[in-house]
Amino acid sequence: MTQFLSYAIPGLPYGCVFALMAVGLVLTYQTSGVFNLAYGAQAYASALIFYVCVNAGWPSWAGFLAAVVVAAPLLGLAMDRFLYRFIRSAPVLVKLVSALGMLIAIPSALQLIFGSQERLAPPSLWLPPDSVYFHVAGDAINGTELSTVIVTLAVVLLASLMSHFTQIGLRMRAMAESPRMVQLAGINSERVGVAIWVLSSFLAGLAGVLLAPLFAELQALNFTDLLVAAIAAAALGSLTSLPLAFWGGIGLGVVQELLGGYLPSGSVLSSGLRPALPFAVLIVLLLALPGLRERWFHDDPLSACDPPPPPMAAAIGGHGLEELLRGGGWAVLAVFFVSCLTWVPGNWTFTLTQGLAYSIIFLSIVLLTGMSGQISLCQAAFAGIGAFTCAQLVSHFGISVFVGIVAGGAVAAVVGVVVAMPALRLGGLALALATLAFGLLADNVGFQFPWSGNGDSGVNIPRPQLGSLNFTSGKAFFVLAFVLLIACAAVVLAIRQGTTGRELAAMRGSELAAASIGTNLAKLKITVFAVAAALAGVGGALYGSLQGTVSPNDFNSFLSLVFMVVVVTTGVYTVQGAIQAGMAYVILYQVLDYLPSEWRNLFPILFGLGAVTYALHPEGVVEWQKRRVVEIVVGWRKHPEAVG
Amino acid sequence: MALVEGTGISKRYGGIVALDDVSVAIDRGEAVGLVGPNGAGKTTLFDCLNGVRHLDAGEICFEGRRIDRLAVYERARLGIGRTFQRLELFGGMSPREHLMVAERVHRADGRLWKDLIGRGRARAPVARVEDLLVELGLDEVADDPIESLSHGHGRLVELGRALVQDPLLLLLDEPSSGLDTREAVGFAAVLLEVRARRQTAMLLVEHDLDFVQRVVERTYVLDFGKMIASGRVDEVLADPVVRRAYLGEVT
Repeated sequence: MTQFLSYAIPGLPYGCVFALMAVGLVLTYQTSGVFNLAYGAQAYASALIFYVCVNAGWPSWAGFLAAVVVAAPLLGLAMDRFLYRFIRSAPVLVKLVSALGMLIAIPSALQLIFGSQERLAPPSLWLPPDSVYFHVAGDAINGTELSTVIVTLAVVLLASLMSHFTQIGLRMRAMAESPRMVQLAGINSERVGVAIWVLSSFLAGLAGVLLAPLFAELQALNFTDLLVAAIAAAALGSLTSLPLAFWGGIGLGVVQELLGGYLPSGSVLSSGLRPALPFAVLIVLLLALPGLRERWFHDDPLSACDPPPPPMAAAIGGHGLEELLRGGGWAVLAVFFVSCLTWVPGNWTFTLTQGLAYSIIFLSIVLLTGMSGQISLCQAAFAGIGAFTCAQLVSHFGISVFVGIVAGGAVAAVVGVVVAMPALRLGGLALALATLAFGLLADNVGFQFPWSGNGDSGVNIPRPQLGSLNFTSGKAFFVLAFVLLIACAAVVLAIRQGTTGRELAAMRGSELAAASIGTNLAKLKITVFAVAAALAGVGGALYGSLQGTVSPNDFNSFLSLVFMVVVVTTGVYTVQGAIQAGMAYVILYQVLDYLPSEWRNLFPILFGLGAVTYALHPEGVVEWQKRRVVEIVVGWRKHPEAVG
Repeated sequence: MALVEGTGISKRYGGIVALDDVSVAIDRGEAVGLVGPNGAGKTTLFDCLNGVRHLDAGEICFEGRRIDRLAVYERARLGIGRTFQRLELFGGMSPREHLMVAERVHRADGRLWKDLIGRGRARAPVARVEDLLVELGLDEVADDPIESLSHGHGRLVELGRALVQDPLLLLLDEPSSGLDTREAVGFAAVLLEVRARRQTAMLLVEHDLDFVQRVVERTYVLDFGKMIASGRVDEVLADPVVRRAYLGEVT
């Protein structure tokens, strides 16, 4: 018993932070219908501002005021006023992508402002971390742990009193049903919405400041993991119950530490499973809780009153423009191919070949999200599966790298089918969260074994050889990657133009109607998941072969999110969009490399903000601009008098 | 033998009984109405017939075959078409594409390998689709994005999407809602013409009783999940029980 307690008690502070976040998440999801994926970034923002203030010599109460009482609500309000307010009744995909954009842009924006140096030993909020207050079951309880628990309990008590015994609390709960109905009842729903965002952002800020000193270093990535733990806790409360979310958070924190105590130390299980616990819990909950599944279909009863979303530029553009763009795309591709083989310097050829591999991975997002309306946040994991399968087969069985690349795609497809199984029953948000959890599991556990990704040391994939054809040189490999990309693009185009593509478009438009005309949605989803996973796997294996050595870090779970916002920005509906994404990804990275290191933060900021415009430009803000420019140029040619 | 026969259908949502021992039967080519106040269970009955929801009790036979355990798409392939109270259109697709995809699915032409070798691609316009577009008066707007069409056109596209599959039974969920009087009259005329040409059986949920009378011969009346009357429209509407439940009494 003593041993049990000594393992369990250190989990309480973590549990408290999870619980605060979970409560805040449920609060905004219930009342605004937006599942705020950027919540982790909000927590990070407050933790960072607190750190900066305290290190500038401010007393910690002043830092707390600045970071949690002022900055956190301001950030939350800004997000609500400038973004979430406009998309409350938008489709789930739009909400998720927008929130994802913020999740990726905010930490980078902060690092651009405050600098991205290492931040060690984050300060404690209230009681000093070095002094031990008392011992429980042999555990020394220090100031950080004690203050975390006390502050959490006080805040949660206050919040629950408010929601049940005040007018504003009642209105907040009414908002959960329908903001518009609340408005029709003569209540200023905007004001209630503001109150909710202030409260929830305050909780995020508080959680961030409390969590920071529990780690040795202040890192944005810890807060993404915190977010998933909070999501799992929120899911324990079916995303509706605040008390269950709260106790779920506490429970997760404790069980996590218990696992750490009882599992053999030093094994992959203890180093991997412990941090992966929230994700595993989330997956199980999504599959097991029927209430949770129905919850995803919840939408505003008045949402039909909204005007339909604007048609995409592709729909208005007309056939002439479509053909011009397609022809122009092929022409640009041809020029690009010839250039890379002739005058482009070797290091840039390498970069652009990387871009080709990424383009193949991004094709999977075009197929899955653009063409089918499904959201997957684990495409980097599929790429990793492809790469590691290829590496292991080549090194153990000595098979040709070509066969390895194909096998990588095939294994990824099989895993894709397994991941798609929950997708049959779940949709939208649940699928996004399940794939996010799968990606994190793969990253933290699956890829750490010597027989898979081999942890930080990674695995080797040689360049392929085919008889006398040798693809070891940069240019030869470029040709190979180019041909492979064209082949994969042809597959996606064939699917799009065929019956399957039309059925996918129908499913994207309305699953209900698609089923009622005889479309087997389950089969369709499995097929599309498998093909998408295969594409990502092939792209990943190709990338691995290009690099020579790849480790799980090349396919980490955060990259899946970045991939998503990149493709959504450059164009998620077209094959051209995927190639634009691949090229933009590597070229921008390379260009930023020439600039001071701080500037590298521009990358996530640009694409994050690009994703935020998804509600306005579902075809991708870059694609939209491209069409506009082409239209202006063509229009000028057609009607020269209109210009002069 | 009736085309579709539902017997003893019950459906509960938690503690609420949406359908309580409801039986319906529709013959081939027959048009039948389904009226009742909001919340009477009309849409739930539709959902049970086409498989969106599963029954708690009872059974449904279609052409003499039990279908109540089949999925939505399987029932659609047997010949049950449907439109929706709240339009369910495929965003980003034109009316022609709506009909095309339904026609393809109907021919069960959706094999992935066919797409990959380029056999799944539409090369020539499909006569059946083109004819139907003209018949429904959608030929003028056939290539416009669906988002730019009026609500009335949207209803017609839903109807066309169902009809292109040559359904034996068509479930129409409040087709006149959102239409103005002129559009509603036009839609009723289209339905009559469809019946005259194709002998499609129809089950029509509708609040607009003029509309109902124009299209169907007999009607069912649902109230609080119970079937309270059935018979010829004018007779049913004169029934005092129905008047009390649905129309309200003038005292």
